[in-house]
Amino acid sequence: MTSSFPGAAEPAAGAAWHAGEDLLASYAAGTAGAVADWSVEAHLTTCASCRAALSAHVAPERLAHNRSALLVRVAIGDAGPVRRLLRRCGVPDHVLSLLAATPSLRASWLLSVAAVAAVVAGEAAAVGYGWIPGGGPVTGPPGSAALAPFLLVVPLLVLAGVAAAFLPVFDPAWRLAAAAPFSGFTLLLVRAVAALAAALVPVTGVAFVVPGPGWLPVALLLPSLALSAFALALALVIGPRAAAVATAASWALPALWLAAADVPLLIVAPAAQVACAAVLCACAVLLYLRRDRFELGWVR
Amino acid sequence: MTLNVCTAVVRIDGLSRRYGAIRALDGVDLTLQRGITGLLGPNGAGKTTLLSILATVAEPDAGRVSVLGLDPRDGAERVEIRRHLGYLPQELGYHRHFTVAAFLDYVAILKEITNRRRRAEEIAKVLAITGLEDRARTRIRALSGGMRQRLGIAQALLGNPKLLILDEPTAGLDPEQRLRFRELLSGLPGDPAIVLSTHQADDIAAICPQVVVLLQGRVHFSGTPAGLAGTADGRVWAAGARDDRAHLSWRGGDGRWRHIGEQPPAGAELVTPTVEDGYLLLSHAAGAR
Amino acid sequence: MRPEAGERDDAALLRAVARGDEQALAALYDRHAGWLTVRLARRCALPDVVDHAVQDTFLAVWRGAGSYRGGGDVAAFIWGIGIRRLIDAIRREDSPRRLRWRAAEPETVVSAEDQVLAGLEHGRLGQALAGLSPELRGAIEATVLDGLTCAEAAILLGVAEGTVKSRCHRARVALRAALAGQQAGPGTTAYHHEAWETS
Repeated sequence: MTSSFPGAAEPAAGAAWHAGEDLLASYAAGTAGAVADWSVEAHLTTCASCRAALSAHVAPERLAHNRSALLVRVAIGDAGPVRRLLRRCGVPDHVLSLLAATPSLRASWLLSVAAVAAVVAGEAAAVGYGWIPGGGPVTGPPGSAALAPFLLVVPLLVLAGVAAAFLPVFDPAWRLAAAAPFSGFTLLLVRAVAALAAALVPVTGVAFVVPGPGWLPVALLLPSLALSAFALALALVIGPRAAAVATAASWALPALWLAAADVPLLIVAPAAQVACAAVLCACAVLLYLRRDRFELGWVR
Repeated sequence: MTLNVCTAVVRIDGLSRRYGAIRALDGVDLTLQRGITGLLGPNGAGKTTLLSILATVAEPDAGRVSVLGLDPRDGAERVEIRRHLGYLPQELGYHRHFTVAAFLDYVAILKEITNRRRRAEEIAKVLAITGLEDRARTRIRALSGGMRQRLGIAQALLGNPKLLILDEPTAGLDPEQRLRFRELLSGLPGDPAIVLSTHQADDIAAICPQVVVLLQGRVHFSGTPAGLAGTADGRVWAAGARDDRAHLSWRGGDGRWRHIGEQPPAGAELVTPTVEDGYLLLSHAAGAR
Repeated sequence: MRPEAGERDDAALLRAVARGDEQALAALYDRHAGWLTVRLARRCALPDVVDHAVQDTFLAVWRGAGSYRGGGDVAAFIWGIGIRRLIDAIRREDSPRRLRWRAAEPETVVSAEDQVLAGLEHGRLGQALAGLSPELRGAIEATVLDGLTCAEAAILLGVAEGTVKSRCHRARVALRAALAGQQAGPGTTAYHHEAWETS
């Protein structure tokens, strides 16, 4: 960093050279000239008392201002490795802070989702692979009846994550968000997309483990997306709570009915996928059209 | 689209709002000037509804509202109002796992302060104003009630608002905390217009040069605290015993009975009414209707 | 006898910072922010940018205190972080009115005593350096005194990297010539004139 110049004279032996007050003042003011500047700077690196004397030439308010801003940034902290990774991927920092306030992105939530998915998948696997006897007549591919609880629950887990992103009950400070200039629609979208992505990870992973058709993990994708979009679009019309319930029912009822008819896999069959895609597109369009009239207040 | 705060900060004309069968606000006409205005009324009088409409969180059913010269019905103007607003809702919930600094960071982003450094500087500023600098790393669940209230004020102050809307900010505070709160309000930099609601008359008497009494969704008084006290002129007495003919009658801390009513009880002497007396008289009259 | 908290030396404070002690960071700031602010301000005329750099420096110290290996001065460690944070801050600053480097000419006269002492510090080299044009001096100062790479120096000085390299080269040539006691030859003078014209 600081290197000694070739041929620089050493200070006279025994003499402790310190920068005088005038020299420091002119250095601070920028009027000391190049040679004096460099002398002072080379000296500062090794002399604590001259450094302290130089501090007196900075306005105390400026030092205090930077100090308090520094301590705030230390207090806010840098958050964990996930956040750093996302920041490096180009996600703006303020978006990350918004996401930190989403309950369905917290470790506790995701662990619960993973746990429930694991339980349901474990049960389906146990029955499907014949480790424990399953009941009832089985039509279609072996083990498909065992998949019924799995197919019912797993997309609802994803829906729950997205619902937690917009239901006021999950955001204790939603009134602040409602009264703030930040676009409510952007906030909602950011949270919902993040919750969706985060929930899909354990869900898809678990789908690989479960016995059944190989396309099962992929087949869960469209229904999950469609349910989420449907819930958001419906919330614009009938309010968040009613929308969450109605959307859950719109999946649970067909799933239960098909399970009772012993053809649970039909809910992810190609025809159903097309229906999901259509719902997804329609809801996306609706959300886009009403994005400016979107109010977090929800007060009808 | 410019802000106009030279004249009235808030203008309300015929405001109405109902929740189902309940009329929360019924034809409210009001003009609020700069300075601190207290909104006085019992629970259920419509204070929270009125304040949430001013804060653009709720929509009126009927009537016209103008906040800082802008109309909250227009989408773009509504966002502009929000840029100059500081809002402390009643019973504000906090993400309890957040630290003080992280929570303020979140609110600052909601107020569109996207630059990280500017946020840190704003947060440092409001922490200094509310005396919470040493608590920046404390988790919210570890804060006392009084400190949580200070945090509520701190988040409202982010972004230099021109209008502060505080819903029951002194609820749950002990007298010493209320005193410190009053000191805080009277020394705010930038001199924002402040509207706060309370159901305690002595808060009004202590901090608000302007007071509005809201009862059952209607404005029953708008003026100064002295004027409110004056409405009970000639109707407040102190006596040694209870009187059933009075509208209101209670025993004060000094052992004497205080009566508000039309007829003086026997042996009573007229006393100067306080703000609370005026308020109680108005409430009684409204209740009788 | 245990040293009091107020007398902890810089290395001890840094170790405390590495352990997550916020008070230690505040103490380090109180000790070092002053001179750092002045020294950075000598390289950048925008006070906002300098303030950002100072904040970023101590934030980097907070995060990276563990990388201090205990050899060398803490002040030098902080300066090494500081100058690089200044460069980052300048790079982020997209205003066209960027910066100046050191003042070309002194306006006030330093006390004679200090001048003599300063002359003693660097002797003939000092005079030779003072004889360079501001552009050449700036390039030498950034690369040699501050220990920056040519790319970093380019950002600090607001010129292209190639310009930094050529200026360093010309400066070294001029210094060697001056130190060797030669009169500034026609080649050197030409370099000086070029430097003035292209500034």
